[in-house]
Amino acid sequence: MVTKSTLGIGIDVGSTTTKAVLLDAKRNVVTQYLLATGASAQKSVQKCLDELRKSSQQDLTVVPVISTGYGRRQALNAIKSVTEITCHSIGVHHLNPEIHTLIDIGGQDSKVIRIGTDGRPLDFELNDKCSAGTGRFLEVMARVLEVSINELGSLSLKAKHPSAISSTCTVFAESEVIGRIGTGESPSDIAAGVHKAMASKIATLSQRVGVKSPVSVTGGVALNPGFLYYLAQAIQTELWVPREPQYTGALGAAILALEGGE
Amino acid sequence: MAPDATTTPKEKAYRKLNTSKLLRDTMTLHILSTKQASQQGRLAWVTSGFPVEIPVAFDVTAAYPEQYGAIVGSEKCGPLLCGFAEELGFSQELCSYARSSIGSVKNPQQSPLTGLPTPQALLACNNICGTVLSWYEAVSEMTGAPVYLVDIPPLEGDQPSHHLSYAKSKLEGLIKFLSQTFNQDYDEEKLIQVAELSNEAISLWTRALEACRHKPTPLNCADRFLSMAPIVALRGTQQAISFYQAFLAEVQDRVKNNVGAIVDEKVRLLWDNIPPWFTIYNFFNTLAKKGVSFPADSYTHAWSANIPRGEILESIAKVYSNVYLNKGLTAKIDKMCSLIKDYDLEGFVLFSVRSCKRYSLGQMVTKEEITRRTGVPGVIIEGDMVDSQQYNEAQVETRVEALLEMIV
Repeated sequence: MVTKSTLGIGIDVGSTTTKAVLLDAKRNVVTQYLLATGASAQKSVQKCLDELRKSSQQDLTVVPVISTGYGRRQALNAIKSVTEITCHSIGVHHLNPEIHTLIDIGGQDSKVIRIGTDGRPLDFELNDKCSAGTGRFLEVMARVLEVSINELGSLSLKAKHPSAISSTCTVFAESEVIGRIGTGESPSDIAAGVHKAMASKIATLSQRVGVKSPVSVTGGVALNPGFLYYLAQAIQTELWVPREPQYTGALGAAILALEGGE
Repeated sequence: MAPDATTTPKEKAYRKLNTSKLLRDTMTLHILSTKQASQQGRLAWVTSGFPVEIPVAFDVTAAYPEQYGAIVGSEKCGPLLCGFAEELGFSQELCSYARSSIGSVKNPQQSPLTGLPTPQALLACNNICGTVLSWYEAVSEMTGAPVYLVDIPPLEGDQPSHHLSYAKSKLEGLIKFLSQTFNQDYDEEKLIQVAELSNEAISLWTRALEACRHKPTPLNCADRFLSMAPIVALRGTQQAISFYQAFLAEVQDRVKNNVGAIVDEKVRLLWDNIPPWFTIYNFFNTLAKKGVSFPADSYTHAWSANIPRGEILESIAKVYSNVYLNKGLTAKIDKMCSLIKDYDLEGFVLFSVRSCKRYSLGQMVTKEEITRRTGVPGVIIEGDMVDSQQYNEAQVETRVEALLEMIV
C-alpha cells in the first residue's frame, strides 16, 4: 500500500547544479534551493537539505526524499532514485497539464520527452554523447565572446545578420567562432549564429520523438531568451517556459516523494 | 535434481546453468582442436554467417575471429588489442572485432589465448557485413593465408532465382578453392551428412530458444549469448549435438519445475544486437536484481534456420542468403515484432553498436515501427561490443531505467 506523506523532498543532482524542492501535501512549494554541484555530489545534496531545513524551519529528518539527475545515487538518504526523464515529465505536467512535448536542456545533456495524459513519459530521446546542444556549449561560446552566460541570449537578439555557424561540436564551433571574430563579425551576430546552430541540433533531436504542441522548455538554458527565440523558429511552434525552469526535475521528484515513491 | 525454485535470502538474482561447465569443456576442446588443425595445415578462419558445413565436409576445422572478439571483450582487453590495430593505421571507426582480431595477429603474445592459431585459409561471407572482406584481406597480408569470399548480395523481400543461382555459384567456387587449398576432393555425400548434423544441433538450439516463451523464462540473455558458442563454432559436428542435448534437457527441466533464469521475473524485454561483452554479466545481472529478464533477442535467433531438404548446394545457398542481416530492415522488424508477441514481452532495448553498422543501421526507424505495431515501448542505448572506451555505463543505465519507469 502506498503511504502518502504530508511533506516531500525532491533533489535533482545535475551535472552543473543541484536543485532541491520541498512540497507540502497540496503540492505547494514550501521552499527550494539551488547550488553548483561542484566536486562532491554528496556534499551538495547535504547542503541542499540543510538549506531546506533552515528556510522551512522544520525537522525534515523523516520527510521522504526522491533523488534524480546523473548524481541521483549520491543522495544517500533518498528512499528511491528516479530518472530525470520521469521526474521532468511529472514536474512539467504538474505545472501545465496541457504540455505534450518537453525539451529539457541541461548542462551536460539535452532530452526531448513526449508526455502522456497522466504526466508519465511515453517516449524520449537523449543527447548525452557530446556537449553539442547542451548548456556547456553555450558556456564555452560565451567565454569566447567575453560575455557572461546570462548576457549571451539577449546579445544574440540584437543581431542584424546572424553568422553561419555550421558546426555544433563545441570544440569545432569554438574555432569557428574565433574565425568569425577574426573576420570582424559583430558579437551579436556571432551569438545569434551560435544559438541558431544549437536550436537546429535540438530541433533534429525533437523530430526523433515527434513534436506535438504545446511544447515546454525546461532546464537552465530555458532562461536564455536568444535560445528560445531560435528554437521556436526551428521547430515552428510556440514554447511554454515555467517561471523557474531549472527546478522542474526536482519538483517532479518531490511529487513522487509525496506519493510514497510510486 | 532441479534447483529449488523458491528464493532464499542468500540466493543470487540470477541462476547459473549447470551445463555451463560442459559448455566450457566443449569450447576448450574446440580451441585445442583449432591449434591442432593449424599445426596439421587444416585451419580456416570463418565469419559467423559463413556456410561452414562446406569446409567441415572438407575436414577443415573452423575458428571464428568474431567469437575470439567476444573473448577479448569478456577479458576486458578490447582497448589494448584495438590499440595495436590502430598503431598500424586502422581507424577507430573500424569494427572492434576487426581491430581486436588484427591487433591479436600483430601482438599474439599480449592477446588472450595468444590469439587464434595461424590459419591456412580465410573464409568470408558478406551476408552479415561488408567489413569482413577487408578485414580478412588485412589478416591475409599478415599471415599469408588466402581469402575466399562467398559473395551474397543484400536481399529485399523474396529471393529471386538469379540471386539464388549467383549465391550457389559462389558455393561452387568455394568447393574449388577448398579442393585446391587443402588438396582434397569434394564429397557430396559427406556434405549432406554434415548438413544433417548441423540441422540436428540447430533444432535442439531452436527448441531451447523457444522454451523461453515460458514464464518465467528458463534462459536470460547472457545464458543464450554464452551458450550459442557451439552453434556458431561447431555447427555440423557431433560435439554441438551432444552439448545441445544436455543444454535442452536442463532448459526443459527448468520449465517443468518453473525455475526461471532469474529469481523474481517481473518485466520481460527483448534485446537487439550483439551484447557489450566486457560488461555482459554486470549489465544483465544488475537488471535481473530488478526483476528484468530478456526471454528473447534478435541475435541468438539468427542461428535457428534449418538447411531445407533438396539439392544440397542450393539448400545451403538459400539458408545463408536469407539471414535477416542480409535482408531489408522490414525482415528484422518483422522478426522482432513476432518475438515480442510470441514471447509476451513488454518492451525492448535496441543496442546501437558503434562497431556493427550493418546490425545497428535503421534502429531509430525500427524503434518507432516496433512501438507502432506492438504498442510496447523501447529504448536505444549506445556503445560497443568490445571497445569499452565507447560505452558509458551511467548513460546506458539512465536510458534503461527510464524505459522501466515507462513500463512499471
